[in-house]
Amino acid sequence: MNEIAMDRTSPPFSVTLARVPGVAWILGLLLIGFTFFSRDFLTGANLHNIGLQSVILLILALPQTMIIMTEGCDIAVGAVLTLASVMLAWVLVHDGSLPLALAAALAVGLVFGLGNGMLVALLKMPPFVVTLGTMGVAQGLALIVTDGQSIVVNSDALQAVYGGNLGGVPIPLLIGVAMYALSHGLLYHTRFGTYVFALGGNAEALKLAGVRANAYLIAVYVLGGLMAGLAALILTARMSSGHPTSAIGMEFDAIAAVVVGGTSFEHGKGWLLGTLLGVVAVGVLRNGLNLLTIPSSAQVACIGLLVIVALFIDGLKGRK
Amino acid sequence: MNFALSRPGRFIGALTADLKTIGYRLAAALLICVILTIASDAFLTANNLLNVLRQASLLFLLASGLTLVILTAGLDLSVGANIGLSACIAASVMKLSGSALLGAACGVGVGLCIGVANGLLVALMRMPPFIATYGMLWVVHGITFWYMAGTTIYGFPAAFRALGSGYFLGVPIPVYLMFVFLTLGAFFAQRTTYGQEIYAIGANRESARLSGVPIARRLILVYTVSGAMAGLASLVFLARMNSAEGDIGEAFTLPAIAAVLIGGTSLFGGVGTVSGTLVGALILTLVLNGMNLLTLDASWQPLVTGVIVILAVFLDTLTRKRAEARK
Amino acid sequence: MNQATVPLLELRGISKTFPGVKALDDVSFVVYPGEVHMLIGENGAGKSSLMKVLCGAYTADAGQFFSKGEPVAIHSPADARKFGIAVIFQEFSLVPYLNIAQNIFLGREFKGRIPGLIDHPRMHREARKILDLLGLDLSTRTLVHELGVAQQQMVEIAKALSQHARILVMDEPTAALSDRETERLFAMIRQLQAEGVAIIYISHRMAEVFAMGDRITVLRDGKKVGTRLPGEATPDELVRMMVGRSVDMSYARSFGRSEGEIILEVQDLHSDHGVNGVSLNVRRGEIVGLSGLVGAGRTEVARAIFGADKVTGGEIRLFGQVHYGTPDRAVRAGIALIPESRKAEGLALIRTVCDNLVLPGLAKAFPNRLYQAAKARRIARDLIDRLRISTPSPFRPVQVLSGGNQQKVVIGKWLSSESKFFIVDEPTRGIDVGAKAEIFALIDQLVQQGAGVLMISSELSEIVHVCDRAYVMRGGRIAGHLAREELSEENILKMGMQHE
Repeated sequence: MNEIAMDRTSPPFSVTLARVPGVAWILGLLLIGFTFFSRDFLTGANLHNIGLQSVILLILALPQTMIIMTEGCDIAVGAVLTLASVMLAWVLVHDGSLPLALAAALAVGLVFGLGNGMLVALLKMPPFVVTLGTMGVAQGLALIVTDGQSIVVNSDALQAVYGGNLGGVPIPLLIGVAMYALSHGLLYHTRFGTYVFALGGNAEALKLAGVRANAYLIAVYVLGGLMAGLAALILTARMSSGHPTSAIGMEFDAIAAVVVGGTSFEHGKGWLLGTLLGVVAVGVLRNGLNLLTIPSSAQVACIGLLVIVALFIDGLKGRK
Repeated sequence: MNFALSRPGRFIGALTADLKTIGYRLAAALLICVILTIASDAFLTANNLLNVLRQASLLFLLASGLTLVILTAGLDLSVGANIGLSACIAASVMKLSGSALLGAACGVGVGLCIGVANGLLVALMRMPPFIATYGMLWVVHGITFWYMAGTTIYGFPAAFRALGSGYFLGVPIPVYLMFVFLTLGAFFAQRTTYGQEIYAIGANRESARLSGVPIARRLILVYTVSGAMAGLASLVFLARMNSAEGDIGEAFTLPAIAAVLIGGTSLFGGVGTVSGTLVGALILTLVLNGMNLLTLDASWQPLVTGVIVILAVFLDTLTRKRAEARK
Repeated sequence: MNQATVPLLELRGISKTFPGVKALDDVSFVVYPGEVHMLIGENGAGKSSLMKVLCGAYTADAGQFFSKGEPVAIHSPADARKFGIAVIFQEFSLVPYLNIAQNIFLGREFKGRIPGLIDHPRMHREARKILDLLGLDLSTRTLVHELGVAQQQMVEIAKALSQHARILVMDEPTAALSDRETERLFAMIRQLQAEGVAIIYISHRMAEVFAMGDRITVLRDGKKVGTRLPGEATPDELVRMMVGRSVDMSYARSFGRSEGEIILEVQDLHSDHGVNGVSLNVRRGEIVGLSGLVGAGRTEVARAIFGADKVTGGEIRLFGQVHYGTPDRAVRAGIALIPESRKAEGLALIRTVCDNLVLPGLAKAFPNRLYQAAKARRIARDLIDRLRISTPSPFRPVQVLSGGNQQKVVIGKWLSSESKFFIVDEPTRGIDVGAKAEIFALIDQLVQQGAGVLMISSELSEIVHVCDRAYVMRGGRIAGHLAREELSEENILKMGMQHE
């Protein structure tokens, strides 16, 4: 709780040692643990790998942080990302132009974000069940469009997105950094961000202040959808194809990262840097378990346990 | 509705009490049957109808326990994953020990344990149900995948397989199970004090608490039942498929919730019936069956189910808001 | 203390109706600059509805606002703000994880040079100015959730000031403040007065009503009963105006029964919700009052005894046996709680009258856990007849009943569980006079049959007319005890009001 009491108008790295948050400890332990158990862990190549793998998760987790801060959540993102990736691949194969394909992916994200947002904000439906429903819809659409098969893409432009460098820095990483900067700016320096805190903390106060709370709530979900669309670019580039089940389940990693990072489901308490650390923690966990040849399925179980532990700690700290 | 207080009278009374509230939905189910009969020759065949009943029974078995959870204004998203793990453990034990009975017991046992864990998270750790069961979903899923390690277990004793694919007097065996648990479920909900307390918790948890209802104990109970029913459903599923793999059960969560919601149980708690869930399961199965008969791709199913869930929640929200505005 | 001739704001004939209840009935009201205008009345008198109309959250169904003779439209929070009205509700309108400056300027953030961004430095500068004005030595970067209640209130006032409020409406501002913080608040109010700001101050505390008020307006049942100057009124008179026919109660109780055994004995009780050492006892056959001003801790004592709040110290003895634990234990031991807010805590509104009536008694009526609808119906019908609950049928949801009948259900549901000790919290809140008498007759019946009752009421006349004796609470403790002969409204007020 007190770890989140940070100065908002100066860089968010001014955290005193005494207020080091739980996620930092978790991350530290994971890093130390894996370095100890696997000699391949602390190599430059491996760390580079972790970074690249985590970018997509980061892009999903950033808007998810804001959504969770408004006391909602979006479990459809994995399916929406999948659908966006599939659409991107489809457009590339049928048209060849990357900008158009990207536009298609963003459009998919926009539509679902708008839909989710309106159902939650205007019709006041419970976010979890609503996004459970839209998840099914997105999943279904992805299966229908692809007929269950991968759409393989042969595009140099696309390859360049994933494999290319700009000043020595891999492009995906740059996109990730850009998205983080964008989210940071939005959350801490715009009205939109201020209202995200209010929507979760005291929506009534927002309405009494004469603000159109519903519009901003919808905007949060739209942001989530759009960023899923952007993440689709990197995902499709990485796999050089659009596959109908490529990102199913990623929403769990995203929510796990957010929760482990310290954002809570109540009262509008959220921390973007925490989400970043949470994403790295999840990435490190997966990577480390991979190196120890523990299968993906068990990895998921571990992440689940991590979430429960983080929530437990959150609950303990929150108890006054 | 003055039935004698004899045992048979009580059972029947439990069912007819629910009938009043599910009348419209039964009519909807019949309407769908009529539409499908017109739309496809293959619908009104004995084979197809029995198939529909068999599918609906399985879905109902799973959704019946879930109904109790939702009645308390809770949610159990782990039911699908639960089926997966229970079926795989049951299959594994059956193969290793040679005893179908032992395997079955283990399957239900696993389901029950998952249910207890959920109940503890929700009741004692005060976690919001959707988070607790969502986390549990992934943990269980992960354990299943890891345990199965990509292998498939198949080939079970005929006696066991009859549970899922067998017939008795021309009717699939799962249908008998459906009636048994319909009766048990309706009885539990309407004819025991536990049931009354569960409705009270869903209608107004604080008021129930201040009326002396032991909230934590009842919550643990409903999540345990939900888990146990998932365990049971996994046996029927296993018996029919005659094989177990790491990824089974995934696709059950959404349809189970859909069945409960279509059946008239409100997500906000305190309103709904087990018989309603049966009709909900029937309606959903009929819709999906219809889609199959009209040779729509199976890929459409999650989409349709998703839309149905959204519609059902929408109606639920409207009804609840209207009821509250009248206060 | 100035009666300037030009009123700041005038309300004429304001009415507001909700389904089933007329919250405001033709209320007319004048506010002068620089005055502290006390607004008093019981719960349900219309104070909070008036506040909501003033701040634009509700739109009045009838009546108008006037300023300098011209009509003023206040149909939204923005209108109210433009006119200069700021309301500070008891539950503050603050966002916990935003800092002070962000809260002060919520919805009115300063735009930065780059479009879309907020000019934080300017926001903090402006916030700093206002905090300095109020003498608040806090960093504008402090997150609101880290502040104490008094400080949060100051932030709310800062917010109002930053909106150049000319009329400040405050709802029970001292309810959660210590004496020193209260003095701070009063000093600030005087400062605001000197600057011509008018303050509409809602309070239940007679001491501050007389100490700070320039004029006092009494509301009752949505109507304005009258406006008085503090010099020309007495607390008793005000209480009588608030409460109505206080002396003429149509219910008469006979006293002087022999003393029964002690049912409940509480020693030095502490709870995590503000009970700070309470000792009391209740005997068979008596109605013991628990009085005190709003915020004194009466409901908290009730909840602690019942187990709804956590007991952190002290001892509870029921029939001589030590008792502790959760509500379900209390119910099994024979304690019943009729909570303060019947809709939120006493009833399941969407469930039927029958279901609600039968719930606490389920274990006793059906010891083998097998519920029989027919038997439940019988029990319900019996209770409905006994209590004369007016309902179209036992199977309608309880939310269609009137307030009085709902309350009968809340009380009646315990009769089927054979409770021996009843804690009754504001039994007649929101109930019309006719039903009140019936409720008291019911409670009397209970004690005649050997139960003991601890009755919490804010209506002094109720305590005086119905209780055998009464405890008066103040600040989470028992301030004193009044035996039957000493029981009078004046004595209760005096005991509950002292600030030192």
